[in-house]
Amino acid sequence: MRIEFTLNGRRRRVDVEPNQLLLNLLRDELGLTGAKYGCGIGVCGACTVLLDGEPVLSCLILAVEVDGKTVETIEGLGEGGRLDPLQEAFIETGAIQCGFCTPGFIMAAKALLEENPEPTEREIREYLKGNLCRCTGYVNIVKAVKLAAERAKYLT
Amino acid sequence: MSMSGKSFRVLGERTARKDGLARVRGLERYASDYYLRNMLHARVLKSPYPHARVRSIDVSEAEGLGATVITFRDIPRVRFCPRLVSTPEATYKDWLVLTDRPLYVGEPIAAVAAESEEEAQRALESIRVEYEVLEPILDPLDSMRPGGPQLHETILLGDEEVRVEGNLACRLEVAEGDVEKGFGEADVVLEREYRTSRRYHSQLEVKSALVNPEPDGGVSIWCTTQTIHNTRLLIHEIFGIPTSRIRVYRLPLGGSFGSSIHTNLVVPIAVALALKAGRPVKLAYTREEDMHDHSSYQMIFRLKLGAKRDGRLTAGELDMVMDIGAHQVQAYPLLGCVVGWWVSLYKLPSKRYRGRAIYTNKVPSCAMRGYGNPQTTWMVESMVDELAEAVGMDPLEFRLKNYVGKGDIFWGQGPTVKSVIESCGVEEILRRGAELIGWDKRPKPGEQRGRYRRGIGLGRGFHTSSAGAAVPGTVVDYSGAILKVNEDGTIDYITAMVDQGGGSLEAHAKIIAEELGVPLEVVNIVAADTQTTLYDVCTHASRGVYAGGGAALRAAREVKGKLLELAARVLDAYPHALEIRPDEELGQGIIYARGVEGKEITIGDLTTMARHKNWGTIASAVSFRPGSCPPHFTAFFAEVEVDTSTGRVRPVRVVAGADIGTVINPDLAEGQIHGGFAMGWGLAVLEDTPYDPETGDLLCRGYITDYKVPTAADMPDVEDFKVFFVETHEPTGPFGAKGLGEAAKNPAAAAVANAISNALGVRFYELPITPDRILKALREKG
Ligand code: FES
Ligand code: FES
Repeated sequence: MRIEFTLNGRRRRVDVEPNQLLLNLLRDELGLTGAKYGCGIGVCGACTVLLDGEPVLSCLILAVEVDGKTVETIEGLGEGGRLDPLQEAFIETGAIQCGFCTPGFIMAAKALLEENPEPTEREIREYLKGNLCRCTGYVNIVKAVKLAAERAKYLT
Repeated sequence: MSMSGKSFRVLGERTARKDGLARVRGLERYASDYYLRNMLHARVLKSPYPHARVRSIDVSEAEGLGATVITFRDIPRVRFCPRLVSTPEATYKDWLVLTDRPLYVGEPIAAVAAESEEEAQRALESIRVEYEVLEPILDPLDSMRPGGPQLHETILLGDEEVRVEGNLACRLEVAEGDVEKGFGEADVVLEREYRTSRRYHSQLEVKSALVNPEPDGGVSIWCTTQTIHNTRLLIHEIFGIPTSRIRVYRLPLGGSFGSSIHTNLVVPIAVALALKAGRPVKLAYTREEDMHDHSSYQMIFRLKLGAKRDGRLTAGELDMVMDIGAHQVQAYPLLGCVVGWWVSLYKLPSKRYRGRAIYTNKVPSCAMRGYGNPQTTWMVESMVDELAEAVGMDPLEFRLKNYVGKGDIFWGQGPTVKSVIESCGVEEILRRGAELIGWDKRPKPGEQRGRYRRGIGLGRGFHTSSAGAAVPGTVVDYSGAILKVNEDGTIDYITAMVDQGGGSLEAHAKIIAEELGVPLEVVNIVAADTQTTLYDVCTHASRGVYAGGGAALRAAREVKGKLLELAARVLDAYPHALEIRPDEELGQGIIYARGVEGKEITIGDLTTMARHKNWGTIASAVSFRPGSCPPHFTAFFAEVEVDTSTGRVRPVRVVAGADIGTVINPDLAEGQIHGGFAMGWGLAVLEDTPYDPETGDLLCRGYITDYKVPTAADMPDVEDFKVFFVETHEPTGPFGAKGLGEAAKNPAAAAVANAISNALGVRFYELPITPDRILKALREKG
């Protein structure tokens, strides 16, 4: 089946199988391996991407469902070669260890800050509880999200 | 500044990790992110039974579909041990790549490779297997009883065939001093049984391998591993491919925590398929398959300790039975480490130990961050609290009175690896931590009555930094480093050591920059593989910074010597009078004669001149074996709140102190402790993989929906988690540094368990301390 959608700002037309998952389309066909397979059943959040601005688990979505929509992946984040404030904050606060969960966290946090630019710490933690990290204990990740939110506040 | 009064330029600074950029942009490539044109996709046929014999296997239909199929018949029948860290006389071998006698649900029987995953799956489902189903044994204590099912008739110890009696995989006994006399002298003797759970690593990246068959008969491998060189050695051992034609790439790991110290089975399976198909093959496990691939060691301890009224310990006796599942990964060395962990916490004038590793029809156990130390520390720290109470002493003072510290003999890595402790910050950790948490104000056990009850607990521990020793022993532990200076003054650092995520290689780069006097930016950690690196044993045993950094430091020293030598020629000065300083503007190091103006040259200019004058490449290659494995120390103070009507526990505050010698990456080091606590929390209150007695399969059948690990919402707020470092200087470590990765976790569960006991006035002897267990204990207490 042919679908047409906007991927990281570009129009794309691709042929997909009716049962193909968005995660597999991105990774196996389009070479975007930033979204990760961590469970395939919606538990770990490593495959998080934005669909029309909403965070979705690409392991649970069929590729055909994005027809006519806009998909943003970690590779598309940041503008004009500059990092997104979240990406910067993740580097600065030591929020990355193995980094396998990082793309999913950043995309989920991106959606959070769009929705709620000044989240409290508990709001951050509740929002991100669908993203698992086995390395950081979440402390520096939460710090990073707070830092990015702070900076965005200064910017606007 | 370090304790030695030395101040560092790069070490201890907060710097952005070099691989951070790729990681936040989603461009870091892990094993499963590699694809080759023309590659086949593989699937593995796994035993649905915990114990069976394959009577017949028919793969004709699968082959008819065009798939490449392998069974045990296609792979050399070499019994092996997937972990090659120990020397042959300490290595038990009982594995086959594919088996006709499956010993756990999920053991690989056959594998297929086809053009797509879907086709591979279809081919897999067409394989007909006839099993003779055998009686399984799931409980290690039952397994030891005579007359029951036997898993292995014989196994290999090195190359020697040994009989297995009563499913006893291996055993170790150690005694020192007169234990009877010791207990006779004690005023209080306690004896308890402690049980831990079987946890799953739940590393975010599942096991995977991509193998390309090369025209020369060799193979190139991209896989999840903590050791590229041991992976290569094992593939050589099984398939007989010349070692130099096996190329294993060093890749980032999406966490591992011990689950890839050994070569994951996906690797030899993919190699066999690729060799047979003559095409690249990719095999990536699903999460459910991954959960049927590895687990932690479950331990059942019987511990007896004696103490005098003044709090001094007199004797100890420990009997440990561990459930290792169906195969040995590293059970035998672990028996030695458990006694090491035990006796190196507190001074025991006399002690006796018996450790037994038992086979069961379960997923094979392997190291999981701490290698038995978290379990052992929970046991000891639980009893130490009880003993302190029994003799009427503050548990913290009791610990200070008995701990193994500076000047004491240390046998953390087991009875054959002894050394003397040269750096120790335990007392400062405990005193400062106590102050920060408000130790003096903690509640009296059991005095609270309301629904929500709070308690404060202490857990203290350590881990060895590497498995180095003054003598060879039975553990291989050395690292290699190659350094090359480039014509623009940048430095290439080439190492086989894998970074599990903690930032070991980042630390190496800092050590090199510090020693050479160059900006950190010019040290480039280059992509590497087995063909281009010196041997490194494995990233385990918290050896990344200490042993790998030790090699990097020595390589840097050599290069520095060469740089100064050549600069001396150019500048007409004496090499020993030259120094190197970083020039941030030029972005490289400048070699100069102190106090003499104009006598200087950049490293880039010098290297370029060396090229034009044909002096050769300024480089070094160093293989380094650490002469000891010094303990790094930690303590956790945890405050928890127990909801007595639901039995749920919540962490309120955490204070953690650590002595890791010189701190190299401060924020990454803190991150280790944060992550260590989360994993310790899981061990204490959440994680276990129980089995279904009917099917012999995991009760959760591999679905992580039913394997809860801590989430962001379960952990305390940022400002309620305090981490501090007491800086000591480890004379044997690079710039005084020690390890951290495992002590960052080891005593965390103990602190949580002791906090729960402090809140409720009840002790728990089995992990995890689930809501059900808490409610039951409260009911029993009345
Ligand atoms: S892979 Fe999609 S939630 Fe885990
Ligand atoms: S950094 Fe490793 S899983 Fe999050």
